[in-house]
Amino acid sequence: MFTTQYILQQVFNGVVFGAMYALLALGMTIIYGILRLIHFAHGALITVGAFCFYVCFALLGIPFAGAIVIVIGFGALMGVILDVIAYKKVVGGPEVSMLITSLGFYIFIENLIKLIASPQPYAFHPPAFFEKLYKKGLVTFRTIDLFIVASSIAIMLVFNLFVKKTRMGKAMRAVSESGEAARIVGINIGRVISFSFIVASAIAAVTGFMWGAKYGQISYSMGFMSGVKAFVAIVIGGVGSIPGAMFGGFILGILEMFSVAFLPPGYAGYRDGIVFFILIIILIVRPSGLLGQKEAES
Amino acid sequence: MASTTKNINNEDRPGIPRGVLALIGIAVLFALLWGSTKVFSRYIVFIVSLIGVYVVAAESLNLTNGYSGLFSLGHAGFMAVGAYTSALLTFPVEMREVFALSPLPNWLGGPQFHWPFFPALIAGGLFAMALAFIVGVPVLRLRGHYLSVASLGLMVLITSLAMNLRNVTRGSIGINSIPKYTNIYWAWGWAVVTVYVVWRVVNSSFGRAMMAIREDVSAAQVQGINPLKYRLLSFAIGAFFAGVAGGLYGHLSGAIRPYGFSFDLTFQIVIMVVLGGMGTIQGPIAGAATLIVLRYILKPVEEGLKVYGLVELIYATLLIVVMIYKPEGILGRRVLRK
Amino acid sequence: MLKVNEIDVYYGVIPAIRKLALHIDQGRIVTLVGANGAGKTTTLKAIMGILVPKEGGIIYRDGDITRVPSDRRVEMGIAMVPEGRQIFARLTVKDNLDLGAFHRRDRSGVKRDLEWIYGLFPVLKERTGQIAGTLSGGEQQMLALGRGLMSHPELLLLDEPSLGLAPLVVREIYRVIREINKSGITILLVEQNINMAMKVSSYAYILETGRIRTEGKPHEVMKKENIMKAYLGE
Repeated sequence: MFTTQYILQQVFNGVVFGAMYALLALGMTIIYGILRLIHFAHGALITVGAFCFYVCFALLGIPFAGAIVIVIGFGALMGVILDVIAYKKVVGGPEVSMLITSLGFYIFIENLIKLIASPQPYAFHPPAFFEKLYKKGLVTFRTIDLFIVASSIAIMLVFNLFVKKTRMGKAMRAVSESGEAARIVGINIGRVISFSFIVASAIAAVTGFMWGAKYGQISYSMGFMSGVKAFVAIVIGGVGSIPGAMFGGFILGILEMFSVAFLPPGYAGYRDGIVFFILIIILIVRPSGLLGQKEAES
Repeated sequence: MASTTKNINNEDRPGIPRGVLALIGIAVLFALLWGSTKVFSRYIVFIVSLIGVYVVAAESLNLTNGYSGLFSLGHAGFMAVGAYTSALLTFPVEMREVFALSPLPNWLGGPQFHWPFFPALIAGGLFAMALAFIVGVPVLRLRGHYLSVASLGLMVLITSLAMNLRNVTRGSIGINSIPKYTNIYWAWGWAVVTVYVVWRVVNSSFGRAMMAIREDVSAAQVQGINPLKYRLLSFAIGAFFAGVAGGLYGHLSGAIRPYGFSFDLTFQIVIMVVLGGMGTIQGPIAGAATLIVLRYILKPVEEGLKVYGLVELIYATLLIVVMIYKPEGILGRRVLRK
Repeated sequence: MLKVNEIDVYYGVIPAIRKLALHIDQGRIVTLVGANGAGKTTTLKAIMGILVPKEGGIIYRDGDITRVPSDRRVEMGIAMVPEGRQIFARLTVKDNLDLGAFHRRDRSGVKRDLEWIYGLFPVLKERTGQIAGTLSGGEQQMLALGRGLMSHPELLLLDEPSLGLAPLVVREIYRVIREINKSGITILLVEQNINMAMKVSSYAYILETGRIRTEGKPHEVMKKENIMKAYLGE
């Protein structure tokens, strides 16, 4: 059963899922770097993105390119809303307040979608050309898989360049190192925070489309698990490190696929549980993650 | 005069000593409870009992989150552990085969035995507590958000196990026909106990140490306070009562399913604590009462208009509003921040 | 140029400075000295806008800037070189300097200033691509100074520039401070090292537990405060 083909196929699947986790982890790390906040609501943005695409593409008939643009825009808008309504007000206070507010937002968005759409999941079909099946050598895949991996890598590269070369990018890195020093230098922290939310949310929304396309269905609760797994990815790769987040995402994807594939059948339901088991192991063995800086233990 | 802790040194206050006041209060409470069983319908009595159970859960979360400044999101997991453990222990022998539940192994009493209520509750609580210790030791040394996600993960793991260990837990069907041992007195009796324990812990040197750690970890360490020990203990005690709450719940509603112990449940309890006032004794009680009553008032609306998710939406809105405008909660007092 | 009118600054409910008043004439070097915890850094932070005084006001060039946010103050010409450098350790030397000019739109001006700073601190030019965290203490201080200068300030706030540096390096830093001042930049200097501070300044304030105890020309102040030498452990 464990032929080379099987293993390769699983690795490939792991890479696809890993690419999505990596994107989510990237968004979360951006916000974590700037605000030191685990943005629980980030997961909800996947749901928002997926449903937005569904409405645009399946219900309104907008062609793919247009729908994606709308998804990105809507995601960015959600980022702005979250920033303005919640975080700006709570930013000075205790760390816990922001966590709780973030949670509140997650539940709010999730249930709003449940209310507006339905408690039942929807079948999700990306445009037909994404479903085309290929068989190259030992691995079977669809166009959507290529799309996911390619766009994921593209987004990460673009972001990396952005953060190294542009003014705003350097400002983001400065703020994530020291908010006070950034203010001394004249950086408007509020604007950097807003920008970070916009970028992270837009990325999450697009990832929502990918997620829906890969799983074939969307539901109001789809954001929860993915959001939390994104955090696990960050911990694996090293909190506060952007390459770490992306690396962690891919590792998590592959590990998850492997554990599902190589466990005896009937244990497949443990998929989520295993992810957290990995988290606990990492926290015990190497809490700063594989690539991360040592975060102050408290 | 600013103070960050509730003023408890009442030795200087003249008049009736606090202990006697408390006992009178408890007596009054139970009289009221007795009265309500005579006056109100079974439905209302059920809701009042439910509030009592949630008070146990909320107060225990308050100990971990409010007073110790941790942020555990796994409370539902501990409740699940308590619920399943106590249900499996008390399940009547005669019915086990019908319900595809295996009889108890010999070291737990053997196939002809099922546990009485109280020990089963305690067992559930202890099991949850043990889990808290196991997970707490590695995680509590790290920064706060690690605990949040790790506890969330623990909850997922637990519900994952509950859903998949079909031979033990009956999987996603859950266990029903649990004997309904919990009545209004059990629920509120435990609520009183929990409140008392939390009150005692908070107003002891242990509690003061915990709050010192919450305010400033390095300062506390310099005073010779070991953060891990205190966090671990408050996490564990919180877990114990969560387990008990789970057991109480199982024996109140008569049925438990893995889905019932999801993040939504944790969130509900978090809201109760936060809304009512984190870090105060009375806050979670008020929060529990308010939110349960709200839920049951809105339930017919939700069902009638088919607007599922309305209750949670309102909960979330309330939470966000409170966080922005009055983060210390409705009954809370503003804690000094630098 | 800068007038601080009897400000009170609090950390929570604890007052850090009380009724603090000072003024700085354009083109001068003014010094603020005091023991640890006296409130020197707090004063600078209030002038910079990182802390907002509960009472009193800050007037800069005849305009009330008490409620103006820090990033605006940088645009208006105030810059701070904070205690302990606070450079962006994970970014390069060049990145740090670029960020100093964050708000500036005049590319040619920025280039000119960069050249000037490289002239003041040749070692920064050498190490321009290096990660800032790997520089030595003295080099980091120069980088922090350079970064502050990149915003083309008229008023420069220096918080303990000699802290933790070898005497030779301190002499070099002060040589540069004098040169910066000669180019027209007004300086408010905060120091524990009174010797060097008194040598370069034209006016001095002695701060003690949040209040100004003495002020005046350096040699007058030194005479008045002979006890101070023992007090500050010279």
